[in-house]
Amino acid sequence: MHPSLVIRSGRSAWKGPYFVAFPNLREALQNNLPIKTQARSCTILPNFVGIRFMVHNGKDYVPVQVTQDMVGHKLGEFAITKKRFTYKCVASLLASF
Amino acid sequence: MVYVLGKLLPENQFTRFALTHFYGVGHNTAHRICARFQIHDRCRVKDLTPTQLTSITAFLSSPSTAQPVQRVPLASPSFRPKPGPITPDTRSTSLTNAKGGSDPLRNLKIETDLRREIRENIAHQRMIGSYVGRRHAMGLPVRGQNTQNNAKTAKKLNRIDRW
Repeated sequence: MHPSLVIRSGRSAWKGPYFVAFPNLREALQNNLPIKTQARSCTILPNFVGIRFMVHNGKDYVPVQVTQDMVGHKLGEFAITKKRFTYKCVASLLASF
Repeated sequence: MVYVLGKLLPENQFTRFALTHFYGVGHNTAHRICARFQIHDRCRVKDLTPTQLTSITAFLSSPSTAQPVQRVPLASPSFRPKPGPITPDTRSTSLTNAKGGSDPLRNLKIETDLRREIRENIAHQRMIGSYVGRRHAMGLPVRGQNTQNNAKTAKKLNRIDRW
């Protein structure tokens, strides 16, 4: 991990990065099973590389494949929570009046 | 007309403000650079000696390889100068600040180097597909600002290839 990421995160250096311990990490790596999690604020550690996560976005679980470049970021950065606005035709609604 | 690294510095301006014409040098950094080369606060660009100009140019062209600042320790109150010619202290200790950190100007990046670094950081975010990179690609604010109105700065600046 980039050493300055810890410094720039605004978190005390002695605490280290915030992360959640996943008990099924090893078997997930071996069997290529996705880890379903709601811990969006968990920092991606170097030993997460190669693991598939299913990260909660508030509604459902978004697949995230962790690569080397993602180390130091948070899991939630890769599961977007916002839906893009799309215009829906309201003809059926208007017809009901 | 004074050119430093291809940049035209206004002659009549104070040096510590003229140096802010460089991208990546603000008031604080400019003041530090002036202090490094013993340029006083009210020295205008036209009053700079050629030696000072060349040393500033040399420093700004590669801050990381520039010579470390010589530290001159203060004499103790009980110091008695020895008779004979004065020999300058040759022990060059690298500059350390009060917190024990290294020279802050050593990691200075200006102009093209800084722009490249910013571009690389955005490209990195985009490549790994994070939210920050996504927002840059959309030209929208990255840090949770409102987008119902305004967001003018982000619409102007946020893009994958900024320069």
